[in-house]
Amino acid sequence: MSQQPNRYTQENRNEMPPRDIPKPPESIEYICGDCGAKTAMKNGELIRCRECGHRVMYKPRTTRIVSTEAHLIPVLKYFALNSYIP
Amino acid sequence: MVASFDPLSPSLASSSSDQTTFKTLTRERQFRHPPTSVSDVPALDELVAPHIESFNALIEDGDSKGLLQLGVEDIGEKVVFDGKPYQGQGEQGGWGTKISYRIDRVALSKPLVPEKDKLAIERRIFPTEARERLTTYRSRLTVNIRWTVTGPDGVSREHEEIKECGLLPVMVRSIRCNLQNLSAQELITHGEESTSFGGYFIVNGNEKIIRYLILPRRHHPLNLYRPSFAKRGVSYTPYGCQIRCVRPDQSACTNTIHYLSNGGATLRFAWRKVEYMIPLMLILKALVNASDKEIFEGLIQGEYDNTFLTDRVELLLRGQKTWGLQTGEQCLDYLGDKFRVVLNCPDDWNNIQVGSFLLSKVVLVHLPNPRDKFRMLIFMLRKLYSLVSGASCADNPDSPQHHEVLLPGFLYGMIVKERFDDCLNAVKAQILLDIRQGKARSFSDPKYFTSVLAKTNWDIGAKLSYFLATGNLVSPTGLDLQQTSGYTIVAEKLNFYRYLSHFRCIHRGAFFAELKTTDVRKLRPESWGFLCPVHTPDGSPCGLLNHLSHTCKLVVSQMDTSHIPTLLSAHGMTQIFASSIDGRRMVCIQLDGRVIGYASPQKSKQLANLLRKLKTEGNAKVPLDVEIGYVPVTKGGQYPGLYLFSSRSRMMRPVTYLENGKLDHLGTFEQVYMDVAITKQEIEKGVTTHLELDPTSMLSVIANLTPFSDFNQSPRNMYQCQMGKQSMGTPSTAMNKRTDNKMYRLQSGQTPVVRPALHNKYGFDNFPNGMNAIVAVISYTGYDMEDAMILNKSAHERGFGYGTVYKADIFDLKDSIGSSRSAKPTLHFGLGRDIKEDHTSLEFISRDGLPRIGTRVKSGDPLAAYIDDTTGKTKFHKYKGDETAFVDEVRLLGSDSGDSELQKIHIKLRIPRSPVIGDKFSSRHGQKGVCSQKFPAIDMPFSESGMQPDVIINPHAFPSRMTIGMFVESLAGKAGALHGICQDATPFKFSDADRPVDYFGEQLRAAGYNYYGNEPMYSGITGEEFHADIYLGLVYYQRLRHMVNDKFQVRTTGPVDPLTRQPVKGRKRAGGIRFGEMERDALIAHGTSFLLQDRLMNCSDYSTAWICRSCGSLTSLGFEQVSGEGMKEYCRICDSHVDQYDKDDKPLKIENGEITQENKIGVRIKDSIRKGKMDVVAVPYVFRYLCAEMACMGIRLNVTVT
Repeated sequence: MSQQPNRYTQENRNEMPPRDIPKPPESIEYICGDCGAKTAMKNGELIRCRECGHRVMYKPRTTRIVSTEAHLIPVLKYFALNSYIP
Repeated sequence: MVASFDPLSPSLASSSSDQTTFKTLTRERQFRHPPTSVSDVPALDELVAPHIESFNALIEDGDSKGLLQLGVEDIGEKVVFDGKPYQGQGEQGGWGTKISYRIDRVALSKPLVPEKDKLAIERRIFPTEARERLTTYRSRLTVNIRWTVTGPDGVSREHEEIKECGLLPVMVRSIRCNLQNLSAQELITHGEESTSFGGYFIVNGNEKIIRYLILPRRHHPLNLYRPSFAKRGVSYTPYGCQIRCVRPDQSACTNTIHYLSNGGATLRFAWRKVEYMIPLMLILKALVNASDKEIFEGLIQGEYDNTFLTDRVELLLRGQKTWGLQTGEQCLDYLGDKFRVVLNCPDDWNNIQVGSFLLSKVVLVHLPNPRDKFRMLIFMLRKLYSLVSGASCADNPDSPQHHEVLLPGFLYGMIVKERFDDCLNAVKAQILLDIRQGKARSFSDPKYFTSVLAKTNWDIGAKLSYFLATGNLVSPTGLDLQQTSGYTIVAEKLNFYRYLSHFRCIHRGAFFAELKTTDVRKLRPESWGFLCPVHTPDGSPCGLLNHLSHTCKLVVSQMDTSHIPTLLSAHGMTQIFASSIDGRRMVCIQLDGRVIGYASPQKSKQLANLLRKLKTEGNAKVPLDVEIGYVPVTKGGQYPGLYLFSSRSRMMRPVTYLENGKLDHLGTFEQVYMDVAITKQEIEKGVTTHLELDPTSMLSVIANLTPFSDFNQSPRNMYQCQMGKQSMGTPSTAMNKRTDNKMYRLQSGQTPVVRPALHNKYGFDNFPNGMNAIVAVISYTGYDMEDAMILNKSAHERGFGYGTVYKADIFDLKDSIGSSRSAKPTLHFGLGRDIKEDHTSLEFISRDGLPRIGTRVKSGDPLAAYIDDTTGKTKFHKYKGDETAFVDEVRLLGSDSGDSELQKIHIKLRIPRSPVIGDKFSSRHGQKGVCSQKFPAIDMPFSESGMQPDVIINPHAFPSRMTIGMFVESLAGKAGALHGICQDATPFKFSDADRPVDYFGEQLRAAGYNYYGNEPMYSGITGEEFHADIYLGLVYYQRLRHMVNDKFQVRTTGPVDPLTRQPVKGRKRAGGIRFGEMERDALIAHGTSFLLQDRLMNCSDYSTAWICRSCGSLTSLGFEQVSGEGMKEYCRICDSHVDQYDKDDKPLKIENGEITQENKIGVRIKDSIRKGKMDVVAVPYVFRYLCAEMACMGIRLNVTVT
């Protein structure tokens, strides 16, 4: 697409990405497609299970509460604490 | 977890017997505790067995060697000479040092993790990984190459080397698959479904099937009458006799004998796609050094008074004299001389060797013995003469009697064999090239040959992957097949019906699809019981794409028939070499295309009966799958004889042999001459030989699942076979392991109350395909006109027909802009530092650059983020669909050996599709309809017991379509639901004496309902009782995958074509639907001129243009500056004729209509003398474009403005 040719011309005009917030590389635990073990992987790491060496990983379901329902968090907590789980 | 009591444990299966007719307990038990030693549904394994067994035969074929090994042996040895004569020998040993090489052994391993991956604990690769990682399920193919170097001095040394041939795609659940013979329990642990039956390949994550193809029956000469034969040359006639011969490695070669009007006969064959014709006499002589007398006696067989025959044989023999070749050696020498260049034989062979090689490679290749070939050719010629004389008729090549099946494994083996041959030839070509360029080292140096091997391309696996991925056959020989593409199909897992029928479908061949004659598509009585008469699509593939009946079996394994000739001789067959053979009184007996003897017709019949008796009684000498085709002597019918077939690839089906009540297998050839009764009542003493196991065994699996299909008009059953295959159902029971591009799933699938017995046999309860619906047949509100149906809104809210579409979004950084082709990847998944905490993409994407699972995405929302190393910027991969979707799964796909970072992800998106108005539904009787309204429950009609229908259909759907089966299903379903039982809907169970109405009517009466299934109903709107009783019952409804959300096309304004400024076309580009000429005609005819103007002008490319009233030109607009008035337009054509002035107001000289002054810039016209009068008109933009294009070509277009 059109980004290819002006990649270099843009570079001069471009201010460097802001460096004020250095973040430690975040690692997320992924689930192995074979044995189900959790492997923490940073960006740029090899895709393989640390337990069995399998080559397919799944991203786990998010634990974050979707922001649109953020006002429900206290309600959800209440239910989570008081509901009976057999 | 507390160890709890499990009432469904398999150990309790016997104690708690399953009382329900639905087998609910048994099914639940099977779901919770899949069998640990056998597969879940063994009947399914049997359906796909030919696929797997034919692949297995490549590697292990019963007791004998695998077909790949046989193929390699058939290729034999290749020989190269260096052409350097040995000093001591002088001129004679002119060929120099010889290298002869061949492939010695072939080995195929099971799919394993590559050696360089040290970390993987599980070394085996399972199909599910190939599916998930979108790779090919393949394993290492290696060959052992053995080569001998022989010096001119006669000293030879032998070497061998193991050569890798790349990674060959392997059939799932075959002998080389890691899932072979696994139980249901183990299959599930390896990510498969409990009923996975294999039989397909996995190429780039797609499941590919090599389709069955119909081929001419092997080893049986076919008399042909084809007018096209006469065009083959001078004196050629339409008569021919064709035989398709198959080598032990299952590669084939077809021979045709042509009858010539001058009494001669030629044999035609193809070698590397080029056809050759050789006079038959030449071959007969060359084969066995036959004398003229021998040939004469063989052809005449005692019929000396048959002048037709003697005349022709005489001409044949006289014709041979012109060649001047008397002995067999002379003939071989002649053939060898002519075919030396073509055959590419070793240089040191003499002509006789080359000639013999030709005969062994192309003439009746199924018979190794030249004497057998001779006898068979004589037989074919006699058969041909009988066709010409009219004593017998031409065989029908479209009849299933003369058909067999091309099995996937055999085709695969043929291709692999040919690739081996190509590789060996490439080695030879490389050596010859080296010699020519003087680069060749000494042949005696073992390293030289090894270096040549290394230089040639041996990646056979890649070639076969290409074949499977595209279905295209790249072959120098054509493999004796008629088509070059369309061999493979994708096994779509749309629903289980469709998936299963892929494995049972059988195609006639792409060649026949173009044929204008419909003869090949006919449903023939010969196909009874083998091909399903119902299960074929309508439209262009009708009759060409068939499906095997569910009992039809394909013979895959080789049988031992070595005892049959002796057995027959012992019972009175005349030996072949006997002198007493009389062509008038005796018929030929053949076993797999080999003449084994002669017998009188009566004797042959006895022998046939004897063989049938022996084979049904399990005699070891006569296997059950031997086909005993006794063709009786008739006047002008099929050429008589006793033809035995034990070869592979034949269609066989089980029936009962009436003589002893035992199981017999019938083939397509013999069935024509058998009398098979369908029911016991049909048996006629002395005539009927066999009895069908079941009347339904002629139907395919899918056709069998139509309930009460014997009550329907037959096209309706055909429609159901198609619609069953496109309904939303349960594509898989291992949904989380699937990576299909698109999957349709019905959330609220149910088991049908009314189902045929085969539903259970083939385990269709594992894959629900529809829902039970209360259906009222009533004309209510008008929203059920023209096959529309009304859905009860409450039924919809309870989940009726609720479905989901899964779409895959595969994103590979390698294919995106800015990725480096070779070195380390420059793109990485993740969010760069330019993405702030409050960036909107963080709603969808977490810090690893991958979408959060469960996120709702709309069109244009980011699905993945990646950082470009070169620019340091973060880019996004966006969601392209128009519908709201949810991220269901995100897969991180590693590389083959797990040594690369994340470059490719697979996102599974879930799109909920609850039924909306316009979605398509159908019952199982070809009664499809579109949902026209979701009617509120309060307005729905109700019965006396308060029942409301889920679905309302119009009574007009029935009279013309005559789907009585649907009425019966409705009745049976109602009774079944009332009593809580499942109803058997197997066709052909009821008769006129035992009517389904009575059977189910009694059940209804017992439940307190009207005997005939209709009930008084009340209007939901007024509460009044209807004047007529309404037919109310329970019908199983399928939701079809055609949904309005995928189809609607509507626009008011939108994108236009830049050139014509008309609206673009195509749903994807938000285009419009063409308002074409015929629609225009309709508007003209109606006189609706404003509508016409609106459609074709205002809503299309309306534009305004300046036109010159005087000259009528659209292209002559000019502007000039007028003091005080701004720009003023003028016509550049009209006003160029008036006197023109240059910038100094001097008149320009005009000669011959042209301005002579060189510099014309600045030409100005005086305002006062304008001739052209410009005006604005509305014209379509394309018209302006046309004028401009015309002007470019020097054509003036005038428009009259009034």
